[in-house]
Amino acid sequence: MQLRDYILRRLMVLPFLIIGVSIVVFTLTRVGGSPIGIYLSHEMTPDEVLEIEQRFGLDKPVWVQYLQWAKGVLSGDFGWSGISAAPVADVFPLKLAATMELAAASGLVALFLGIFLGTFAGARRNRAPDHITRIVAVSGASLPQFWFGILLLIVFWANLGIAPIGRSDATVFASINHPTGLYTLDAILAGSLRAFWDAIWHLMLPAITLGYGATAIIARMMRSALVEELQQDYIDAARAKGLAEKLVLKKHARRNALVPTITVIGLTFGFLLQGTITVEIIYRWPGLGRWMAASVVRGDQGTLMTYVLFTSVLFLIVNLIVDVVYANLDRRVTLGK
Amino acid sequence: MNSSISKKGIFTLLASAIFAFTAPAVSLANVKNPGLLVHAADDEATTLDPAQVEPGEGGETIILQVYDRLLDIDPYSPNLIPSLAVEVPTIANGGISSDGLTYTFKLREGVTFHDGSAFTADDVKFSWDRAMEMDLPEGNAGALSDVVASTEVVDDFTFRATLSEPVADFLNSVVVAMVSSVVSQDAVEANGGIEAGVPNEFMAGNMVGTGPYKFVVWNRNENVQLEVNDSYWGENAKLDVRIEIGGDPDVRVLGLRAGEFDTIETDPSFVADLEGADGVTIYTGGLLLEPLHIGFNLNIPEGSLPDGDTIPEDFFHDPRIRQAFNHAFHYEAFLNGPLAGYGAFNPHYTPIGIFGHDPSASVYSKQNYAEAERLFKEAGVWDEGFSVSVITEEGNLFALMCLVLKDSIEKLNPKFRINVLAVAEAVFDDAHAQNPLEYAMWAKNADPAADPNFYMQAYQHPDGEWGEVHGFANGYKDADKIAELIDAAAVELNSNKRAALYKELNEILYNDPMWLIGAQEGVVMAHRDWLKGFVQNPLWPRPSLKFSLFDK
Repeated sequence: MQLRDYILRRLMVLPFLIIGVSIVVFTLTRVGGSPIGIYLSHEMTPDEVLEIEQRFGLDKPVWVQYLQWAKGVLSGDFGWSGISAAPVADVFPLKLAATMELAAASGLVALFLGIFLGTFAGARRNRAPDHITRIVAVSGASLPQFWFGILLLIVFWANLGIAPIGRSDATVFASINHPTGLYTLDAILAGSLRAFWDAIWHLMLPAITLGYGATAIIARMMRSALVEELQQDYIDAARAKGLAEKLVLKKHARRNALVPTITVIGLTFGFLLQGTITVEIIYRWPGLGRWMAASVVRGDQGTLMTYVLFTSVLFLIVNLIVDVVYANLDRRVTLGK
Repeated sequence: MNSSISKKGIFTLLASAIFAFTAPAVSLANVKNPGLLVHAADDEATTLDPAQVEPGEGGETIILQVYDRLLDIDPYSPNLIPSLAVEVPTIANGGISSDGLTYTFKLREGVTFHDGSAFTADDVKFSWDRAMEMDLPEGNAGALSDVVASTEVVDDFTFRATLSEPVADFLNSVVVAMVSSVVSQDAVEANGGIEAGVPNEFMAGNMVGTGPYKFVVWNRNENVQLEVNDSYWGENAKLDVRIEIGGDPDVRVLGLRAGEFDTIETDPSFVADLEGADGVTIYTGGLLLEPLHIGFNLNIPEGSLPDGDTIPEDFFHDPRIRQAFNHAFHYEAFLNGPLAGYGAFNPHYTPIGIFGHDPSASVYSKQNYAEAERLFKEAGVWDEGFSVSVITEEGNLFALMCLVLKDSIEKLNPKFRINVLAVAEAVFDDAHAQNPLEYAMWAKNADPAADPNFYMQAYQHPDGEWGEVHGFANGYKDADKIAELIDAAAVELNSNKRAALYKELNEILYNDPMWLIGAQEGVVMAHRDWLKGFVQNPLWPRPSLKFSLFDK
């Protein structure tokens, strides 16, 4: 099957998957408690509770509520965020941008460090650098994020005072426009070096905290794949041709070792998005994760439904992209069979 | 060469680590963020609209700073002081009619809203009428509409409110309440106006008041920024304000130690982390007006109790059982354990710090197993035993109070069993809002108020808010007498007579308790030493701070 046909076929299935996901999300959030729990208090009379239910259309049958919600979602109306006192559609892009920026920064940390450490260790199998890298990787995978994050905060924020907390210096942040919501990008667009540095400076600790766990996974995967590739016959052939070891490693072994690693990298992005919840809470990062955590605690289902729907759809899309990239890197993979 | 670099690297790393863990946080002389007060709050607002905000909710903190009311509470006492009104109305100065029904407020001239519009009596009438007309179920409009029969603009700077009946705590409970804040009529009318039963989206996220602070921005789930109102009618605030919202409580403590935050909201469990911290003052100077209590349900629907509960639906109808629970609770264990010693015990139901509190009143404050055993035996449940559930929120003081109850009751008699159902806040709120309530007991804190009438009406009156839900009439030995006394105190304008009524009520309610009051929680706040003018008044909405009084 041609790559184009495969993508088209997957895209055609996607809407049905999204509808399925939306039904599951809607049902689960209804089962999880009253959608208006955040507004309820014991002072309210039954009539007042009914009044709030009517305000949010909860006096109608569940299937009608679902259709109304789905209709709203299709028209860009995701409902009202009780914890933000604003339409979900107004707040969501801001939170999404903050989380995506953090996930991307963490992803970059994980990607470069993971591939570098994996290659470094794989090329020096069973030697000291390999063992040290293993320790680093195992630490990254086993250290709880909340512990590692708090540790970095204690050292670099509370004691040394050389790293900030939050997403920005409020004054610097307010000094530029934010057309994309991505602080780093907005700083570049505004040509403000001060804002760009502020953005990077604030990203540093959360990105390291979040990226460290993912670094470990990528590094271990990269190392194993590289060790396997280095034992293949074509590597011996390359060496026999007199190719420099550096080129053998970079042009041949590493490229092929990247194939299985790409799958892990794709899944790691999902991990990074989920992992932002803990990191965002610790670092007071105003992203989706922290917003979602607050909505769970306060029973704000308008916010929660949007978040779960978004992450579900995102995973579907990321999986599709991973499949396509995977096939592109490894010609032995046959699509659609 | 590589080896030497490596050693140097390791040395540097070690030196950095040692420095990191031993370096003093921040010295007093090194004031961080000069000109800006950074307050770390534990909760986020769900609205900034006085007409929509629920008492005790995070939005009240911000409303207190940005909006003014006709009267205010003195920072250092429970006394009322003028605010947008130039004097506190009394019968003596003609502000209150002799029948107690009409209140006339002379208003301050030359005051402007943050949008530049002029403040007049029309704005007061508009603000109060607006809240009553919107009548949002989640808000506190009832505080006004339950007592105010009509509002009237006498002239540009005179406002009059007529009550439907005399209300002794009208000034203390209604006029100073956040729902009575004065909003800009121009701002509301330009942004959606008033629609009955429908929240105003603009006002939920924006503020246009006359207070010492102007609203700048609310970055949801991140911070709220306020700036000094240079045109304030009173003394100008000295510091701009940034309220950092939510986040991990440990990070708030770290931030205070690092000097990044000037004030933080915390609780007794963090005192140990702050004690001895350089440049940090722990403030434990008062008591919250939100007693921690466990409610007894006398109105349990048949067959609704959780699996495992063996009590009959009328279990708590017997006052001896309610008294026995009150005698069995280990008060000292709760105070010295979860509350770390910060708290006190108060009578049913006039908390320490408000009018009517009687230090000589009988109070449940010591565990008395002998009396509890006697009462349980008299009630006929000693030999057979019972199992009963108490529902509460997980992971906080309420849950710990329930565990102390469980410990206290189960140690008294092995045949007694208390099942603590600690559930997520949203699940608890849902269950707690039901009427009738499908649990025999629940634990939470009371809503705060500045006058005993609120507590008595809400928590003791047989026809009051909880009296109706819990069916107090099914259990009070003399429900009519209690109702009569509460109603009489509500309209009694003579403070001595009123205090006597509450004294009588205290004694009756001690012997016929509808609640187990674990403790009145102490205030635990912490701030940097460089903060000047720190004052906290529990009569203001929690965390009971007015940032305009601070400097650094």
